[in-house]
Amino acid sequence: MGKVTGTVVRAAQVVKEFFADFGRAVAKGDLFVKLTPILWGAGYLRRRQFVKAIIMTVMEALVIWFTFGFAMDYVPKFNTLGTVKAEQVFNMKTMQAEWNDYDHSFMILLFSLFSFVVWFAAAIVLMLNTVNVYKLQQDAQSGRHINTFVEDIKEYFDKKFHITLLTLPVLGVVIFTLIPILLLIAVAFTNYDQQHMPPTNLFTWVGFDNFVSLFSGTVTSSFGYAFVRILIWTIIWSFFATLTTYFGGIIMSLALNSKRTRLPKLWRTMLVITIAVPQFVSLLLMRNFFANNGIMNTMCAAIGLTDFLREIGLISTSYIPFLSSPGWAHVTIILINIWIGIPYQMLISTGILMNLPHDQIESARMDGANAFQIFVHITMPYMLQVTGPALVTDFIKNFNNFNVIYLLTQSVYVTTDQLMANSQAKEVDLLVTWLFTLTQDYYNYKMASVIGIMVFIVCSAFSLIAFNYMLKGDKEATYQ
Amino acid sequence: MKNKVIAAAVSICTLFSLSACGTTTTNDDSTTTAANNGGDAAVTTAADNGDADNGDASAETVTLTLWGAEEDQALLADLVEGFKAQYPDQTFDIKIGVESESTAKDTVLTDITAAADVFAFANDQLNDLVAAGALLDLNGEVSQVLPAYTGSTLDEILAKNSEGSVAACQKDGSTYAFPMGGGNNYFLYYDSTKVSEEQAQTWEGLLKAANDSGTKVGMTYASGWYNASFFLGAGFIADMNEDGTTVIDWNGTSADGYTGIDVVKGMSAIATDSGFMAIADGDISNQIASGALCAVVSGTWDAGAAQEAFGDGYAATKLPTYTCAGDQVQMSCFSGFKLMGVNAYSKNTGWAVLLAEYLTNEASQTARFEARQLAPTNLNAAEADAVKSNIAIAASAAQDVYGSVQNVGGKYWDPTATFGQMIANGELASADDAAIQSALDTMVEGVCAPVE
Repeated sequence: MGKVTGTVVRAAQVVKEFFADFGRAVAKGDLFVKLTPILWGAGYLRRRQFVKAIIMTVMEALVIWFTFGFAMDYVPKFNTLGTVKAEQVFNMKTMQAEWNDYDHSFMILLFSLFSFVVWFAAAIVLMLNTVNVYKLQQDAQSGRHINTFVEDIKEYFDKKFHITLLTLPVLGVVIFTLIPILLLIAVAFTNYDQQHMPPTNLFTWVGFDNFVSLFSGTVTSSFGYAFVRILIWTIIWSFFATLTTYFGGIIMSLALNSKRTRLPKLWRTMLVITIAVPQFVSLLLMRNFFANNGIMNTMCAAIGLTDFLREIGLISTSYIPFLSSPGWAHVTIILINIWIGIPYQMLISTGILMNLPHDQIESARMDGANAFQIFVHITMPYMLQVTGPALVTDFIKNFNNFNVIYLLTQSVYVTTDQLMANSQAKEVDLLVTWLFTLTQDYYNYKMASVIGIMVFIVCSAFSLIAFNYMLKGDKEATYQ
Repeated sequence: MKNKVIAAAVSICTLFSLSACGTTTTNDDSTTTAANNGGDAAVTTAADNGDADNGDASAETVTLTLWGAEEDQALLADLVEGFKAQYPDQTFDIKIGVESESTAKDTVLTDITAAADVFAFANDQLNDLVAAGALLDLNGEVSQVLPAYTGSTLDEILAKNSEGSVAACQKDGSTYAFPMGGGNNYFLYYDSTKVSEEQAQTWEGLLKAANDSGTKVGMTYASGWYNASFFLGAGFIADMNEDGTTVIDWNGTSADGYTGIDVVKGMSAIATDSGFMAIADGDISNQIASGALCAVVSGTWDAGAAQEAFGDGYAATKLPTYTCAGDQVQMSCFSGFKLMGVNAYSKNTGWAVLLAEYLTNEASQTARFEARQLAPTNLNAAEADAVKSNIAIAASAAQDVYGSVQNVGGKYWDPTATFGQMIANGELASADDAAIQSALDTMVEGVCAPVE
């Protein structure tokens, strides 16, 4: 945790210094520096950096044009998310419908957020500029060399090359990651659902109402009831799905690496074939195999297993509900996941096992350690050391493992828990599949956003803690 | 790009042909108007075309997008050609896209403004589409294009279709679509070599026949669409309020004097019989093909599978009766229809309405029946011998007599599916009345919950 607090403190420091620099520049700069926050090109003009002055002026013009030509259509409505409903009139002459100038809540939300990001960026540029111009003033006063434009450009391919390299990725992150995340968070505080779908209807802010309903439960609105159960199953699932395939993969690759295994390449190829078949094909086939009236059940009935299970009271139906009742379905899903997950893990482990420190194993063996002891004290610590971070990402991946759960249970699993059903959830749902059902079948975007935020919080908290723990100190020393 | 060049070329060509046409028609009005009543409007603008931009609005190519099922693509392409031929004075650029009727709602509601101008959908999606404002109200001002171009008013066009199908297109007094096909309900397929015609009339008979022949009778319990047939048959209702919430009274006493508990007991008795097989919603076709069934509740879409599985014994009839509080009660069903609607956000609204009308008229419905075996809702088309002699469609029509148009909201489905699954699992078979009542109460409360 110490590392996290340290990072936060350092970030705060940087922000503080930035503002202090800006304040100093405005306070102590000459007239042109003082003018720069208003006329972006002023400071550069004074220092005869004409190209920069022009660029900054054009940028300022663009920001102003963006503000009044685009942003002001949306941002003023941000507090209500629109008030004018769509209406149309039919024009018989043109055979076309004519619309009023209606508000589109979603567009208002999206473009307002976009405008905020643009303005934020503009504010940073403005402040950086002022600081920069002040530096130029100081340079000029103390007679230091002032770069020409060409020299400046050259710097971006030399001393400041990292800035040039990072510009595009940062832009991509802002546009494709930051804005959607902001949007998701914003939607969680609105009533954007089936009753309030743009363009025909408007939606608006509702504060924390959706969070309240996620953590409270009545018979008709049982989100609280479902959320807790689904969260618990999601965590159980991620835990078992990650560990079973992880250890299964290691054991499998150890077996294949063993000198006594014959034809290891043949076995390895056969295992890898499961990867070659697209996952959704094999999963849908599995779903049919394990259906209530599927092949698996026919076989179990034929060998008398079904009757036996009924006699000892494990099942009450005439079939084994592999994928159709809680408990059974949970176990079956984890087992099927082992089958499709192990080959991947095996491939990864094989590579790492090749690099095992053989001298250590040899000396351990000479000291009389048996195979199990070697595994526990040498192989496993080494594996954990190398694959630790991958294990954490695996856990997160399984936390959001949509494919396996959705393909195995959709339209086969029907919950018998009426309270679950009332919030469109199933016992076998992960948070992410529940979120999918809510958006896809029920257009309940507001609750989906709230759940999305929850997933984000759980995942990031887990990753932070796990990485911090794993990367803390010099693990290699303890292992050695 | 290529498309645009072609479109431009076509529109230039038509500009010339239209002005040519205009000069002749001014002398001889009757020839064009004979082709279609709406000729007047088109012809007048065509005549105006001589002076440059005045006629641009109608000389402009009308671009429309049309969505239909995969299996309808060839048929739609033919019908669209027919539509173009019907209005030769107007140039069209009509694009046909693939969108299954069963998933149209999902795709349309993702972004209404980007969806097709005209699209086919199943009538159970009407409520959601109307709530989202995705469907054009055909009773609005746009309705005047119908008499102007087709010669019949909206009411006259609708009157050519069966009453149930028209009801399925309407909500709160407004019409939102044209009926395109029916028979989208469920009924009983059976193997007449194992089940006698008389046995097929009751669940008792069916289950006895199944036990005697070592086969099973299949039905989906875990779906509100299927299991409503028991409750509706006993006189219960499933309806919708104006605010989009669903109303069901299954935990009370029905108009026919049965209680929900009676119905549940009747359903449980069937579910626990060894001759019964509860089939998952998506698994019906597989189970028919497996050959383990002697009878199954399904719809026209499974006609091929049933015919193949039952061979010479292939037969179909209305749903059977079941025992409810000692009486034999006829099962009801949700009647389903395929509809053709117009996107409320379509640009060329007028032409879109005309296209939707054309694609659902008598000739188009007959063509659709021939291509796809979809039961016509048009009364004339439905009278054809080929339609009447179709076993599945005849059974569907026989069942429709007992059916009611499905009018429920989104909250209906999960609680009722869960309830059906509980009965199918036998969970309520041994339960006392109080437990059944509380399960019914929970389900009704969930279904009637406010929409969010």
